[in-house]
Amino acid sequence: MRNLAFVLVFVFSTPVYAQFRLPSLDINKLVDTVKSVGKAVQEIPEPEEIEIGQDVASRLLGAAPLVPNPGLQRYVNHVGRWLAAQTERPDLPWRFGVLDAPQLNAFAVPGGTIFITRGLLERMKSEAELAGVLAHEIVHVLKKHHLKAIQKGAQTALAGDALGAALKDRGGAARDKLIAFGTEMYSRGLDKSDELEADRVGVVIAARGGYDAYGLPSVLQTLQAMNAQDSGLALMFKTHPAPAERLGALDRMQATLDAYAAQPQLVERFAASVRK
Amino acid sequence: MRILLLLLLLAVAPLLLPLLAAAEPATLIRATELKKEPATDAATLARLPENAAVETLERRGGWMRVKSGGDEGWVRMLALRFGVPGAVKQGDTGISQLFNVARTGTSGAQVTTGARGLDAEQLANAQPNPAELAKMAGFAADADAAASFAAKGKLSATAVDYPK
Repeated sequence: MRNLAFVLVFVFSTPVYAQFRLPSLDINKLVDTVKSVGKAVQEIPEPEEIEIGQDVASRLLGAAPLVPNPGLQRYVNHVGRWLAAQTERPDLPWRFGVLDAPQLNAFAVPGGTIFITRGLLERMKSEAELAGVLAHEIVHVLKKHHLKAIQKGAQTALAGDALGAALKDRGGAARDKLIAFGTEMYSRGLDKSDELEADRVGVVIAARGGYDAYGLPSVLQTLQAMNAQDSGLALMFKTHPAPAERLGALDRMQATLDAYAAQPQLVERFAASVRK
Repeated sequence: MRILLLLLLLAVAPLLLPLLAAAEPATLIRATELKKEPATDAATLARLPENAAVETLERRGGWMRVKSGGDEGWVRMLALRFGVPGAVKQGDTGISQLFNVARTGTSGAQVTTGARGLDAEQLANAQPNPAELAKMAGFAADADAAASFAAKGKLSATAVDYPK
């Protein structure tokens, strides 16, 4: 009966979770919900964060597989792992993947999985630019931006006890819906403040890794130069502030940017690794 | 003799490459000083007004070498936005997508780039791909490998504070 209630809740919840209505008045469920309010606000522990992330990553790979180029995949993992080592969460199971999709985008999945699309990589000119984008995504993982959004959305849409069930029962119906919800989040996007924070902190992480700090602004300028109607940009532009706004917000990082502008860009190594 | 000529050509080719790179038009988002060198304390060649149109030539750190009228010098990269107002920017226009659909009479999956991969619809319908996930794990780098990769690129870790 409780399982059925969960299923009903999921079936009636729409992607716009704010529109969710209780499908029926279920006294037991209401009692459960009230009981779970206290624990609902607690943070999702790291092992569950990693597990949820793996499941979401598996779905994203179902939408687009990896570019079949082991050398390229290892190259991106080296850059990303080096950047992650400069952060406060160096020991997560960091994984980086280039997705075989023509769109320009990048995704951070809870627990340390980062994706970048072939379409975005092809527009880049240096390893410093790649580092800038990977560092931005790493910040989303450090600050648990997606995890918090999943948790918040799940609590609103599914009620706290359903989130608890979804966390406990990997492979269960509740868990499946949570993962589908978590995957769809990448077509809705995060709060603008999360994105701008990822830009600012990402610049610092790239600089810590020894890269020319202007890598990320440089990519943003490339995006800004492109036609906003370009079909390859549709999802990224829908889920992120406009590049011009992001560049404007990076003005306040000018001192940091300039202090580390002379660090290596690694144009040749990037070209040799990407265009093979 | 011919080999010598070829060698000569190969030697000068890299020097010619920057000349071939197309200058991209950009606009200044604020009044900006055109500097002789890419540095704040360099001599000022001209004062460019807001919305001035320039052609960008090369980036060095946070500076971009630009041409503006008869002048050539350096401006802050963050003061630039690419493109000229009203002009069509690079990339497809979105309209070409419609043409493709019309031409093929299908969703255009064979000819357009936007019809597969990572759009909202694909994300909503994505099924797990555990085989690909396992493959991805196989490409992971450990901390030591990443550190020696960084050393090869002459990257050194630097202490930089997070922004407040």
